[in-house]
Amino acid sequence: VAAARGGGGVAWLGAAAIAACVLACGDDRAVDVPAGGALTVFDRSSNAFSLPAPGLAGTDFDRHVQGDAAFDQTFVTGDAPVGGGLGPLFNNTSCVACHNRDGRGLAAISPDRASSVALVRVSLPDGEPGAPGGPVPLPEVGTQLQDHAVFGQQPEARIELTWALLDGAYADGEPFQLRLPGLDVELAGGAPLPPGTMTSLRQPPAVFGLGLLEAIPDDALLAAADPDDADGDGISGRVNQVWDGLAQQTRIGRFGAKANTASVREQVAGAYFHDMGITTPLVPGDDGAAPDLPGDDVEATAFYVATLGVPARLALSPEAARGELLFEQMGCASCHTPVQYSGDHELALLRDQTFAPYTDLLLHDMGDALADGRPDFEADGREWRTPPLWGLGLVQTVLPGAGYLHDGRARTPAEAILWHGGEADAAAEHFRTASAAERAALLAFLAAL
Amino acid sequence: LLKESCMKPLPSLAPLSISLVATCLGLAAAACGGDSGDGDDGFAEPAVVEDFADQVVVPTYELLAERTALLDVAVEALAEEPTPVGLTAAQDAWVAMREPWEQSESFLFGPVDAEGWDPAMDSWPLNTNDLEAVLESDDELTQAYVAALPETQKGFHAVEFLLWGEDGAKTSDEITPRELEYLGALTDELVSVTDQLATSWTEAYQGGASYRERFATAGADGNTAYPSLEAAVQEILVGMSGICDEVANGKIAGPFDARDPNLVESQYNFNSLIDFADNIRGVRNAYTGSMPLAGTEGASVSAYVAARDPELDEHVRAHIDEAIAAIGAIPSPFRDAILDEANDDVIIAAQEAIRHLQETIDGELTTLVLGS
Repeated sequence: VAAARGGGGVAWLGAAAIAACVLACGDDRAVDVPAGGALTVFDRSSNAFSLPAPGLAGTDFDRHVQGDAAFDQTFVTGDAPVGGGLGPLFNNTSCVACHNRDGRGLAAISPDRASSVALVRVSLPDGEPGAPGGPVPLPEVGTQLQDHAVFGQQPEARIELTWALLDGAYADGEPFQLRLPGLDVELAGGAPLPPGTMTSLRQPPAVFGLGLLEAIPDDALLAAADPDDADGDGISGRVNQVWDGLAQQTRIGRFGAKANTASVREQVAGAYFHDMGITTPLVPGDDGAAPDLPGDDVEATAFYVATLGVPARLALSPEAARGELLFEQMGCASCHTPVQYSGDHELALLRDQTFAPYTDLLLHDMGDALADGRPDFEADGREWRTPPLWGLGLVQTVLPGAGYLHDGRARTPAEAILWHGGEADAAAEHFRTASAAERAALLAFLAAL
Repeated sequence: LLKESCMKPLPSLAPLSISLVATCLGLAAAACGGDSGDGDDGFAEPAVVEDFADQVVVPTYELLAERTALLDVAVEALAEEPTPVGLTAAQDAWVAMREPWEQSESFLFGPVDAEGWDPAMDSWPLNTNDLEAVLESDDELTQAYVAALPETQKGFHAVEFLLWGEDGAKTSDEITPRELEYLGALTDELVSVTDQLATSWTEAYQGGASYRERFATAGADGNTAYPSLEAAVQEILVGMSGICDEVANGKIAGPFDARDPNLVESQYNFNSLIDFADNIRGVRNAYTGSMPLAGTEGASVSAYVAARDPELDEHVRAHIDEAIAAIGAIPSPFRDAILDEANDDVIIAAQEAIRHLQETIDGELTTLVLGS
């Protein structure tokens, strides 16, 4: 894929940037934006994504602890004394089993496993959408394949994941290998997917920092959007407009690889329902039965993820500091917006923060190689939401073997960069054609996040 | 590890200045200087990190694999001759196997978590409904079959349930051939998992270096998991603190606050209090760089502390002893103790002793090792 890239010169802004910085800084005093504003925590262990935000106190702290327990709860079948209500169809049996230590999950999916960590979204090109403007579900299946089931029940699909290797090379001749996921899906009873079915693989994302992302005002996202590339910089950026089932209205999407969910609460309640088969008052299911889980527990889980701390980045080595300049110069920061500002939010803790998620939360055309061909609300089959990069340097500490990008295909941040195409093609090409020292500097910067 | 002075928030900035901020960050942080992981006043004792891997983690996991293999042998013998002696031998093998596992819970990072081996071995609560359904089915019970079963129908507690029964009073006459078939498949799978866990630390893991290698070479160039020695020693401290939290505020508080014996782990064989004490012994192992059950010992956080603040080292050791003694003062079985208010004082005292230990780890100990 990336080996086919053409040449291209880096716009060297270095000298001007340094001059401007000296003027701006004025003296030697250190300046930094804490990764999570007031929610910033200082931990570089495997526990770094699992800490409560500083400043949580009293009933808020108790609420966070309640949500922590709910996040860890393993669900089982039926009316068991503890944790009943699982399934009958599911992908996994607890929140934490997929979001390891509140971070990512492995791209693991197989009928031979007790449960799957990755999942496959499905939809049809035409028909009646499941929600206004949303994807068209497969009859009897929906928009997500549950590939496991409680004892005695058939899962709705058997999914095998295979990897194909692709060879490429940096401009200086150093070879690299990328891996491309392939899905082999069989519905229950051995039937193939209906003709035209669109599929898309997802690796679980980290869940910390979601409250801050929710608190970025709509206006700020709309102001940053440039759907027609009016400024001619080659980067468009669109907001997704999605159906919010809780609010029963169309809102700006922020969460999910295609920004197809508007709020943390809806994301959490949807995950209980789709990933674990747990009904809640928020997403009750359609059989009229009593919910499997009280609304209070769902709300506590949503509170928990919204109030997790965000790990501070490391102080930058000289090499990493050079990498930060390259991050700007190569064009990475055009979409991975370093600094965001929160506005109002029902949780006081999240209001008026300056923080550094490295995302614009907008949809961008990422090119053919990453395209899944499966639209999700207004996101088309080539568009993905810019994921935040905070905590990137802790990914292998928290979960050894964790992948990068929406489906975990990239095994390293370097591979993830090389997959970038479409609007990010020029930036990725800057990286591929950079010297080994410059590439190492950029990666050192990312490792400090 | 992280200097507060580097983390001052910026005043609110207009969106136009964002690119300027981004370019400034690097220079400013670099100017902040020399704190990228190997500063001269930070933690710089590679032997502590290496020996934690070699003298604590690896021996613990190897002993777990060894004792799980013995459990498997005992279960096979029981299947051949379901006698009272055979049942007692299998039960004893379970308790012996449990000991290194509980002690390993002070370092639940790396492969044990990433691969889902912790829940595959130690999920609680059990799904006894479906466990019974498995027994009543016509399915052939093999290791591969168990591997694909949900975590809540296998592992240590499924074996415990079958060996002891719901009331802890199972006799060898009561064990059915079907239960023995299930037990054999369960322990075969446990042997496989504990072997994989041990070798993930000693042999190639995920197609790369062993996890021992990744942890023990903290701070080396290109180490993406532990780019600094501070990160590795922080991992040790966080693990010690985390299991204290889990025992005081999870394993004890959960069932105690709800007065609900269903929430008590290891309730079928009344091993709960031994589990809790072994968790705190795991804290001691991590702190002292040793694994007494395996006879190993090396450089340690304790020695590092003793060389700088001997009084603090004495405090940490004393708090560990006090926490273990306080757990030992709770009447067994724990699942009955929580129902009798006469025991409240000793249960609360145990929680407080463990919390006291955790506060010392999070406070003075972390400050001495990592700086503030």
